[in-house]
Amino acid sequence: MSIERREARQPWILLSPALGAVALLLFVPLMFIVVYSFWLRSATGADTVGFHLDNWQKALSDPFYRYILLNTLKIAAITTLLCALLGYPAAYFIARSKGNKMILLLLLMLPFWISYIIRTMSWINILGASGAVNTALMSLGVISSPIQMLYNEAAVILGLIHFLLPFMVLNVYVSLEGIDTNLEDAATSLGATRWQSFLQVTLPLSLPGLAAGGLLCFVLGAGTYITPLVLGGPRDAMFANLVFEAIITQLNWPLGSALSLLLLAVLGALVAIYNRYLGMAQLAKGLG
Amino acid sequence: MDNSTRYDRLLERYRNGDLNRRTFLGLIGAAGAAYGLQTPFARQARAQSVSQVRFDGWGGVVSEAFRQHAFDPYTAATGINVVDGTFSGGDEYLAQVRSSQEGEYNIAHLSGVFDYARYVNFGLTVELNTANIPNMELVMDALTAAYRRVTPEYLSAVPYNYGTTGLAYNRKYISDEEMKEKGASILIDEAYKGKIGGWSDWRTRIWYGALQTGQDPNAIADMEAVWDAIRSHRDLALKYWGSGAELMSLLAEEEIYVTEGWSGRIAAMQAEGHDIGYYDPPNGFGWQECLFVIKGSPVEACEELLNFMLAPETSIAVAEGQMYPPALDGTKVDLGATIPTLPAYDPTGTLDALTFADPAYWNGNEAEWSETFSRVQRGF
Amino acid sequence: MGWGLIRLYAIAVYGFMFLPVLVVVLLSFNANQFGSFPMTGFSLRWFEALWNNDAVMRAFRTSLILGLMTAVISTTLGILASLALVRYRVPGRNLITTALIAPILVPEVVLAVALLLFLNWLGIGKSFVLLLAGHVVFTLPFVILVVQARLVSIRRDVEEAALSLGASPVQTFFAVTLPLLMPAVAAGALFAFTISFDDITGTLFWKPGGVETVPTQIFSMLRNSISPEINALGTVMIVMTVGLPLLGAGIARSLATKRGK
Repeated sequence: MSIERREARQPWILLSPALGAVALLLFVPLMFIVVYSFWLRSATGADTVGFHLDNWQKALSDPFYRYILLNTLKIAAITTLLCALLGYPAAYFIARSKGNKMILLLLLMLPFWISYIIRTMSWINILGASGAVNTALMSLGVISSPIQMLYNEAAVILGLIHFLLPFMVLNVYVSLEGIDTNLEDAATSLGATRWQSFLQVTLPLSLPGLAAGGLLCFVLGAGTYITPLVLGGPRDAMFANLVFEAIITQLNWPLGSALSLLLLAVLGALVAIYNRYLGMAQLAKGLG
Repeated sequence: MDNSTRYDRLLERYRNGDLNRRTFLGLIGAAGAAYGLQTPFARQARAQSVSQVRFDGWGGVVSEAFRQHAFDPYTAATGINVVDGTFSGGDEYLAQVRSSQEGEYNIAHLSGVFDYARYVNFGLTVELNTANIPNMELVMDALTAAYRRVTPEYLSAVPYNYGTTGLAYNRKYISDEEMKEKGASILIDEAYKGKIGGWSDWRTRIWYGALQTGQDPNAIADMEAVWDAIRSHRDLALKYWGSGAELMSLLAEEEIYVTEGWSGRIAAMQAEGHDIGYYDPPNGFGWQECLFVIKGSPVEACEELLNFMLAPETSIAVAEGQMYPPALDGTKVDLGATIPTLPAYDPTGTLDALTFADPAYWNGNEAEWSETFSRVQRGF
Repeated sequence: MGWGLIRLYAIAVYGFMFLPVLVVVLLSFNANQFGSFPMTGFSLRWFEALWNNDAVMRAFRTSLILGLMTAVISTTLGILASLALVRYRVPGRNLITTALIAPILVPEVVLAVALLLFLNWLGIGKSFVLLLAGHVVFTLPFVILVVQARLVSIRRDVEEAALSLGASPVQTFFAVTLPLLMPAVAAGALFAFTISFDDITGTLFWKPGGVETVPTQIFSMLRNSISPEINALGTVMIVMTVGLPLLGAGIARSLATKRGK
């Protein structure tokens, strides 16, 4: 066998376990969902097998689904932006600190050791009517009756930021860690201010991490359904809540399948855009 | 040695440099594989003879009571192991059962008649031979009758407990008199805007919408009025809760002053010393729960287990744990001192005081109502 | 001045992340039944209850084992895949990357039901291995994203230097690439473990009978109010994860200073 042939085969050997796992456990099962989305539910009993476009027509034309989908994307975008603003300086601090970085990273993941539900519900103890913040403000005499901070969209975003921030910080940290600090020093010694050298050298080089973190935050944020259930008011819902309700509460698997494929398509399009403009390949070329 | 200490020791040796990386990872893999093979299910998959029965329920105190009073004695008597699973809600569980293989799930603690009818519709029933369950004699006829209306020829479940979804209110802010006077309409009272809660369940929302518009929940004439009542409640409510834990925390933290509540959960709060009142308005929402045997199960083994679970000492221990009265007839069995003090308890054994949902009516409208509610909730 | 400001900012961010942790730790010492404020007295009763609660302890062990195995497998698969994507010219690279990231794009409840329908069709029952496989698939994207971002910034010429000095590709990987990749490997493994440890939806659907993880155990306890034992469990976890590394670092440092003298 020629060397070129072997060269060409090697990446596939490396890729095959991961691709195999994803294909077998995600794509093949997803085919079932695709098939299901063309079936029809019957009010009771087994679903009607066949090829019907009703679910798709509903998912695509109903303003209700469009409204919730846009709202979901809006919430995910706000969350991602805030995570970047909060997370970048923190990641920079960890990457450039003299202390034990592993411990700083571990500390950041600390909230995850407390189960998601408990963690989310603990905001009630912090921001609730008799939570820590209101109690403190009232005992200081700043306010006379509790401020209503929970059970609205802002509380949902807060809960999401708390959930997603570590993903942003870790990704940015990883790419900052890979940047040679000498580059920054060199820029400074050539007369750039620290701020300039950051903007010209460090920030561009850390973009892959920022982009990866942003993508994760957005996608995970857009797919959440528990946070709005716990921290949102009656009206607050994200698209995944509708998917969950269709499949679990309403037992309408065909419609739920169509809705989830719609969400998947929208998020998949975003990833495609990411890959096109910010993707690894693109950045690798830029750095090469 | 159990697995976690084994890991800690391995990890420690690895950190100390006693083990090289490859050995460490190899050992973790081996331990994991061993653990995978140990799982009870792997054993069940190999042997098809009845060596175990799976029960799925609410976990926690209920599960402990079952373990002590029913499962362990049952295993001692029959040699059949009981695998105890937990679920977080009936809807998720039905999805799991629908996407499972026959025989994987056996007995479940389901929400009474709705779920019963749903499982019947999906063809997930078995035919129980009640002669094999002598303790059925002690169960209130009124509860069994509800299942007989769905499946006149046979039973696929036995009743287990019942309760109500009534009105729970903080007595610091709302007096008993005010509560009685306003009834269900207190949930759409502008005076308590932002201090009202409600269960996110579509059935409960529609049931209370019917009460608020003065209609019979089992024969709603003006559905539009009910949706409007639900809309007003949605706009006045701070929060729809989804679990007993949330309900109790909202009331205890005084986030809300009034909401619907599950009788057993409110009783638990009262027992803890919270000044929370509980009131079942006229036509309040009564419900029952059952132990359902799912298609593909070893029926005789399940019947025997059901008999253990229905035994008075098991029933009473479970009831005291979850604070819902047992299905046993108080006129036939001595239920002890605590049970008669539980909310919704019916000493007559007839349950005439409670209104139950008509399963044919509610399940017939389920598809349309559950979907419409999902929209109404979000402002459509 | 810039550095001081950044430090202050980072401390604020950490403060925000720690608020719920603080609440949970405080409440685990609360005598009150519902685990809510106000504190009604200091008590260790929930730790004792936790120790005696077999179900929760069993769930904790399961979660730990599942998390560790998920981390090992998915980090290994992730590194291999990332190497292929960054170091080789693979046709359709973008498509493959998207495919590998896809598991986090699908709402978990759909992934859960889809996988079950598929296995049902094949006639395979649930098992611990299935649960593990499910966890590997949806932690894989995290590892791949983190490792790729790092790999891109490791300069090719370092590896090429090793190769030109006669090292085999495998030797080069272990001697040069992997050490440089270590922060990303650690971060990826940490991600994988954490996400697996904290996952609810998928686990709820895939777990075989009798197997509970901490989140599914908590989820089922929600109906009858969560017992403050769960807060105690959180406290124990935190003491373990913070305490042990700190202790280790402290001992290492004191040994080093002694030797230095």
